[in-house]
Amino acid sequence: MTPDVFLFWFLALLIIGSGLAVLLFTNPIYSALSLAMTMVGVAAIFITLHAYFIAGVQLIVYAGAVMVLFVMVLMLFDIKAEIQAFSSGKISGAIKLISVGLLSGLIVGGIIMGQKSFVGELSKDAVQVAEAQKVKKSTSPDAATKELGMVLFSKHIFGFEALGVLLTVIAVGAVALARSRGGTHHAK
Amino acid sequence: MGQDVFEITVNCIKLVLIFLMMVQAVPILVWVERRGSAFIQNRFGPNRVGPLGLLQLLADAVKFLTKEDFAPDKAIRPLFYAAPIFALIPATLAFAAIPMSVPLEIGGYVFKIQGYDMNVGIVYILGVSSLAAYTILMAGWGSASKFSLLGALRASAQVISYELALGLSIVGIILLFGTFNLTEMINAQQGTLSFKAFGHTVTSAYIPNWGIFYQPLAAIIFFAATFAESNRLPFDLAEGEAEIVAGFHTEYGGFKMLMFFIGEYGHMMLGSALMIIFFFGGYGIPWVTVDDVRQWAAGLSESATTISVITTLVHFLSFMIKFVFFLWVFIWVRWTLPRFRYDQLMDLGWKTMLPWALGNTILTALVIYLIS
Amino acid sequence: MAEASGMPLGGVIFLTVFLAIFGTFLIYLARAIGGQRKDNSAVKRDIYECGIPGQEKRETKVSVKFYLTAILFILFDIEIIFMYPWAITFRDFIASGQGTFVFTSMMIFLAIFIFGLFWEIKSKALEWD
Repeated sequence: MTPDVFLFWFLALLIIGSGLAVLLFTNPIYSALSLAMTMVGVAAIFITLHAYFIAGVQLIVYAGAVMVLFVMVLMLFDIKAEIQAFSSGKISGAIKLISVGLLSGLIVGGIIMGQKSFVGELSKDAVQVAEAQKVKKSTSPDAATKELGMVLFSKHIFGFEALGVLLTVIAVGAVALARSRGGTHHAK
Repeated sequence: MGQDVFEITVNCIKLVLIFLMMVQAVPILVWVERRGSAFIQNRFGPNRVGPLGLLQLLADAVKFLTKEDFAPDKAIRPLFYAAPIFALIPATLAFAAIPMSVPLEIGGYVFKIQGYDMNVGIVYILGVSSLAAYTILMAGWGSASKFSLLGALRASAQVISYELALGLSIVGIILLFGTFNLTEMINAQQGTLSFKAFGHTVTSAYIPNWGIFYQPLAAIIFFAATFAESNRLPFDLAEGEAEIVAGFHTEYGGFKMLMFFIGEYGHMMLGSALMIIFFFGGYGIPWVTVDDVRQWAAGLSESATTISVITTLVHFLSFMIKFVFFLWVFIWVRWTLPRFRYDQLMDLGWKTMLPWALGNTILTALVIYLIS
Repeated sequence: MAEASGMPLGGVIFLTVFLAIFGTFLIYLARAIGGQRKDNSAVKRDIYECGIPGQEKRETKVSVKFYLTAILFILFDIEIIFMYPWAITFRDFIASGQGTFVFTSMMIFLAIFIFGLFWEIKSKALEWD
C-alpha cells in the first residue's frame, strides 16, 4: 500500500465515519460538529487531488463559516425539545435506517461500478489529465489556482457576477427576516 | 513519493519541535506580560521567585498541574474536556506553515525551516485558523453555564466579524505579490525598495523593499484584526468581569485553563509572524538580499554546509528579532489602550474596517492597473 | 522534496493526531496529579453563579443579532474568497491584454458588494443595542 492510497482510505473512512455520526447522534450539537469534521475531511481529500485552493475554500467557507453558523444557531434554540424530536419516534428511526441503507447502497454500487470497464476507461482519462497538469504545475506553486482564476474570470464571468447579486439578495432577505416582528425574539 | 525515511522522520521531529517551541514560548510570554505590565503601570510584578521572578514560570506550571481536575455536574463532559485539547490545534497547525528561515542544505538534503510548505500558504492558514471558533463554541456549550454560553457567542461573533476585515486586507497583499505562497512573498520583499511604474523602474537605496510601504492601510487593518482574532485587549470582549465573568472559560481551571492560554498565545504568535511576512520582509534582513548574506558567509568559510548553516542562522535570528518585537507590541497595546464596548467593537469591525479594507483593495487594483 | 504530493497533508495529519494525543495526555496528567477532592458537595459541583444558587437554565434566550452576524459573515466571506483567484491572476490578465475587462468586471462585483454592505449599515441591521 503506497502512502497515497493509505491516505485516501484513511480520509475516506474519516469522512464516512463522521458522516454516519451526523445521522446517528441524537444531540444536534454533536451532529453539527460531526458535519464540520466531514467538511474538514473533504478539504483534505481536495488536497490529495492537488486542488489546494478549493481545499482552502472548503475549509474557510464550509468548515469555518457555514458550520459555525449551524452550531451558533443550535445554541440559540431550546435544544431539549429538538433532542426529543430527533431521537424518539418510529418515523425518525425509519428515516435513519433508510438513509444508512441508501448510503451503503451507494458505496456498494460505487465499488461495483468502479470495476466495470467503461468507468475504468473514464478514470484512466482523468488520470492522464491529472498527470499532464502535474507536469505544468511543477513550475509554480500557484499554477493551479491561476488556472482556476483564468477560467473563472473569462469563461464564467457572467455566473460570477450573478453570484454577487445572489449573495446580496440573500443578505437582504436575511436582514428582512431577522427584523420582522412576531418571531421568537420579540414575542413576550 | 521521492522521500526517504530519514527525511520523513526529520519532518515529523520538526513539527513536534515547532509545537514545543510554541508551548515553551507561552510561559515566557506570560512572564514578559506580567513584568511588562508592571513596568508600564509602575509596579513591581513577579520578583520573588528566582532572579527577576523568572522561576515564577515554573511555580505557575506546578500550580496549574496540582490543581484539582474539576468539571461542573451539569457540564457535557465530552465537549467540556475536548474543548481545551482542540484549543491547541488550529493555532499550531497554522503556525507550522510559517517559514522561519531560508532552507538548510546539508549533504544533498534540503530542510525547510518550517513545518510544511503549503502551496497556498495564506488560504491554508486562514482556513485552519477559522476553525478556532469551534473551540470557543464547544467550551461555551459544554460548560452548561449561561456565562460561558453568552461569552462563547460574543467571542465567536467577534472572531468571525474580524475575519472579514482580515481576509479582505489580505486581498491587497495578494494583488501586490501575485502569489499565495509565503516564501515567495518573502522573496519578493528582498533588498531595497524598487518597483516598476509606467515602464520605468523606481528605486530607493534608503528604504527596504517591504510590504508596508506598498500597503500601509492593509497593514493597519490586518494588525488590528489580528488583535481581535486572538481575543486580546482592546478587543477582549469575550471576557468581562462585570457582565459575563470570564466568558467561555468561566468553568475552566487549572491545566485546562492553561491550554486555552496556549491557544490564545498561539494565535498571537501566528498574528505577529504573518504581520512580519506580509509587511516586514519575513526572515529577510532589511536592505540586504539572501544572496548578499550567502556571499558574506562564503567569505567566512569554504564548505557549502557551513555557508548554508550560517545563512540559515542569520535569517532565523532576523526573523526572531522581528517576531519578538511584534509580540511585545501585542503586550504593549494591551496595557496601553482601554477596552471597547461590544457595540463599538462590532461597529469598528463592520462599519469602519470592512469599508476601509474594501477601499484599499479597489485602490490597489486601480494603481496596479494604471501603472502597468 | 515532493512538494505537490501528499507530504504536507501527511504532516498536517501527523501534527493533528500528535496534538490530540498530547492534549489528552496533559489532561490525564493534570487529573492524575491534581486528583479529586473528597469534599464534593453539590454546591461546589454547581456551575458558577455570583453567590446565589444557580437560577438560569442553559437555554437562555439570545439576541437574534448573533444569528444575523453569522449569516452576513458567510455571505461576505464567500464574496471575499472570490476575490482571491482574481487577485492572484490580475497581473496575468493585464499581461495578456485583458486587464480592462477583468478590472471592470471585478469593479461591478465590488459595487454590488459595497451596495450590500451600505444597505445593511443603512437599514441598521448591524446596530447593537
